[in-house]
Amino acid sequence: MVPPVQVSPLIKLTRYSALLLGMLYGKKRYDYLKPVAEEERRIESEEKKKREELERIAKELAEGIYIFFNISVPILCPKST
Amino acid sequence: MAQAAQRLVQRVATKGPQLVSAAVTYSRPRLATFWHYAKVELVPPTPAEIPKAIDSMKAMVKSFQSGHLAQLTVKEALRNGLVATEVLMWFYIGCCYSSFF
Repeated sequence: MVPPVQVSPLIKLTRYSALLLGMLYGKKRYDYLKPVAEEERRIESEEKKKREELERIAKELAEGIYIFFNISVPILCPKST
Repeated sequence: MAQAAQRLVQRVATKGPQLVSAAVTYSRPRLATFWHYAKVELVPPTPAEIPKAIDSMKAMVKSFQSGHLAQLTVKEALRNGLVATEVLMWFYIGCCYSSFF
C-alpha cells in the first residue's frame, strides 16, 4: 500500500475550522428557518382542513342529502321589443 | 395476493442475510484501507501543529502580496482549487451535521 501523505498543518487547520464554522452557521441557519417552516406547515394544514370540509360539503350535495329548490336565476338577455 | 406476499417475505428472509454478508465482505477491506489512510491524513491538527499552520498562513499571505499568485503554474492553481473545494465541503458537512442534530 502507498504510504499515507503527511497533510500540511495549514490544510488540517483550515479543514477543521471550516467544519466548526459550518456547524455554527448551520445551527444559526436552522434556528432561523425552523419557525418559518413550522408556520408554513401550520397554514398548510389549516388550508387542507378547510379544503376537505368544502369537498365534504360538495360530495354531500352531489349525493343529494340536502334538498334544494330549483330557483330560477335571472339570465341576462337582450331586451325583448 | 397473499401467496405473492408470502413468497416476497420468504425471499427477503433468505436473501436478506446473504445481502448483508455480501455487503460486509465487500466493505471490510475497503474500510480497512480507509482507516489506514484516515488515521494519518484526517486527524485534526495537534496543538503543536497550530503555530506551524499559522506560520504557513502568514507565508501564504506574504506570497499573495508579493505577487507570487501570478507565477503559479496551471497545475498548482488547479491543485490549490481542489484543496479549497475540499475545505468548502468540510464546511457543508458541518452545516448538515448541525441541522440533523
